[in-house]
Amino acid sequence: MTEVPCQRIMVVDDDVFILEVMKELFEPEGIEVVAVESGDACIAELKKGFRGVVLMDIMMPRKDGWETIKEMLDLDLMEGNVVAMLTAKDVPDGELEYIKEHVIDYITKPFEADEIVTVVKGYLDYLA
Amino acid sequence: MENAAPPNRTIVVIGSSTGGPRTLETIFSRFPLVDAAIIIVQHMPLYINSSLCRHLAKTTQMEVGIAEDGDPVEHGTIYVAPSDVHLKLVGNRTIRLFNDEKVQFVRPSIDVAMTSLEKSSGDRFAGVILSGMGSDGAQGIRHIKSIGGATLAQALRTCAIHAMPRAAFETGKVDQMLPPEGIREQIIRIARTA
Repeated sequence: MTEVPCQRIMVVDDDVFILEVMKELFEPEGIEVVAVESGDACIAELKKGFRGVVLMDIMMPRKDGWETIKEMLDLDLMEGNVVAMLTAKDVPDGELEYIKEHVIDYITKPFEADEIVTVVKGYLDYLA
Repeated sequence: MENAAPPNRTIVVIGSSTGGPRTLETIFSRFPLVDAAIIIVQHMPLYINSSLCRHLAKTTQMEVGIAEDGDPVEHGTIYVAPSDVHLKLVGNRTIRLFNDEKVQFVRPSIDVAMTSLEKSSGDRFAGVILSGMGSDGAQGIRHIKSIGGATLAQALRTCAIHAMPRAAFETGKVDQMLPPEGIREQIIRIARTA
């Protein structure tokens, strides 16, 4: 039986404009976009069974992207996902180095549309 | 991965972390079969190991596989260090995997792999540091330089995160800072002049 490639991404960003942009970029490519505005909503989607590429904003109110990843690890929700940070910060926080092996990429906003689609498609293929 | 072994080796160790997979894919895009063994130490979750190999194998003529304990170091092969264990080269000829403590928060450690290389009159070495957080690989680059190897790091402007190549550069032991395409050409050059 042929395995169906994973074609789902989750965008976690408190900026609704970014969520809309991502939908416009990826949905015409046949990629389902789960758009959530907080780390808590991300965790809820993962608990419901989401598996795919997670594009995670770092700076979000209440629970930031790094804290969300730590919770993913604590709750054993990481496996089967590829996580890339989506951030306006060009230098990551050094004290969070210990979770770096769980973050495959660090995509800086603003990003080129073609580039992010290509990169994310590559990571979706990692999960195929 | 069993072939007749030439007496000398050219061994390239590439250290990579966050942002590194897409750089690796550029480096190994249309990468020819070269007379070298290439060891990739990529910080990544275990379930990504085989996917990375699969991606790299698509575009290079080198054999690509996840390194296994006891593998002989053969030219023409790219060995991807598996997650959750350290990789060392014993006598520059044999891959050994160790379940030691994490080093600088990671296992496998780039430093552990690079510093396991032993100075040898016949063997040639190169160390390469790509995008990533922290400073893993800086000590390894210093070691490779000390045993006569070539040392490269990814040009900072091309990195998703430039901390690792910057730390390597700050050792004063990096020969060249190059974009991914330049790293590819330099590895090919090093292998072909072996």
